[in-house]
Amino acid sequence: MRNHSADRTARTQRLIVVGLIGLALGFLVVIQFRSQAAVARTLAAQDDTSVALLINDLNRANNQLLQQSVALSQQEAQLRQALTAGGADSQAIEKELATLRVVNGEIPVHGPGLQIKIQGSIMDFELQDALNSLRNAGAEAFSLNGYRIVSNTPIISRGQSLQIGGRSVSAPLLLDVIGDPEQLQPAADLSASSLQTRVQVDIERKTDIAITEVITPHPMIYGQLGR
Amino acid sequence: MTVLASVSLATFLVTGLAATQFRSQPLPPSNRLARDEALRHSVNQLEDQNRALKTKVQTLQAGVKAGEDESASRSSAAQQVKTQLDDEKTVAGLTAVHGPGVTVLLHDGSDPNDPNDRSLGWTVHYQDMQDIVNLLWASGAEGIAVNGQRIVPTTAFHYAGVNILVNNGSRLSAPYTVTAVGDPLALANGLGDPDQLAELKSRSRIYGLGLSWVRSTRLSIPAFDATFLVKYAQPLG
Repeated sequence: MRNHSADRTARTQRLIVVGLIGLALGFLVVIQFRSQAAVARTLAAQDDTSVALLINDLNRANNQLLQQSVALSQQEAQLRQALTAGGADSQAIEKELATLRVVNGEIPVHGPGLQIKIQGSIMDFELQDALNSLRNAGAEAFSLNGYRIVSNTPIISRGQSLQIGGRSVSAPLLLDVIGDPEQLQPAADLSASSLQTRVQVDIERKTDIAITEVITPHPMIYGQLGR
Repeated sequence: MTVLASVSLATFLVTGLAATQFRSQPLPPSNRLARDEALRHSVNQLEDQNRALKTKVQTLQAGVKAGEDESASRSSAAQQVKTQLDDEKTVAGLTAVHGPGVTVLLHDGSDPNDPNDRSLGWTVHYQDMQDIVNLLWASGAEGIAVNGQRIVPTTAFHYAGVNILVNNGSRLSAPYTVTAVGDPLALANGLGDPDQLAELKSRSRIYGLGLSWVRSTRLSIPAFDATFLVKYAQPLG
């Protein structure tokens, strides 16, 4: 009887010890995994400044996407309303058509923005850098010395001049940009700061800029629609 | 005896793990991990939101297209405008395309670990991508995608540390694949021109940064995964 009781006590003690050890091990294993993962990320990933910039960009992109979804919801509702009434709303389609023509540079446009005067020659990549920064800041239309520029306009240096879509432009360069001047200004300032060591750059905010030049899209020769 | 063996084994394991745990702690300031964790958690959350929003935009786009198709089937005026709209969508990159072209492959080279070389010339930068895409346009490309992201009129390449950000927060990582539909010979000649991409080609030789291209008879380029909003540029007249 006494032996049986002693065995039970010993078994209980063993269980408690093993249980406690299991708890301690589990706790340490979890911490171990978490800290190793965090260390790996610290080593492999980017510096805090890059991540902070990325957060800023993602916030802006998500805001853009939110605005796009609101606009699309309205467009869909407008189309459905006409269809439910037994007709068709071609105005809703025309609105989208006008937006795409602006985006593709096919119609004259006007709006607020910046006028950037560059009093000297710059290289093709310098202009591309500036356009890229301005596009990133929400620029919606560009014109350089009277030539409309969209993202697929070829820009190539030829000696001291630039070829914009095969047409030559020389200094002084006048870059018209339509967009929110508040957003465009820091991007323009950044581009100017890298150019100003060689050439004079003047940036002027405008309440209304007209860009009258248009682009005629080339029909596709090699590409076909569909995946 | 059994209890003693269990305790000994457990003590050994606990001590071993504790030692490993201690070793894996970063040496710099103790709050660095917490800060990194918080920042990366924010990025993950925002990227989850980004994906969800893009899915929502695509669903809405499909709904709008269905509405436009139905409108066009009911009215000749709507049909006429819709035909023009489809053309503009193709120009803007809202339609998938396929055809012959080239595929450009880019990857980071080797870090020279040279304290005198802080140029980061061994990594692919967003400007490199910008230069390659511009050269492909200049060489007659009719459509371009980078890592599956269609290059559209609003595309800008943006610095995101070791990544490149394009099109509404899409974070691209090396290795990069640039797909361009167009005349394969003209595109390859443009890339092969020694006067073009000279700096990138030089870094390729110095740091082993990968830059190569192949011609293809059939490539596929996806449609842009969002839409366009114009707020400031209004049609004139």
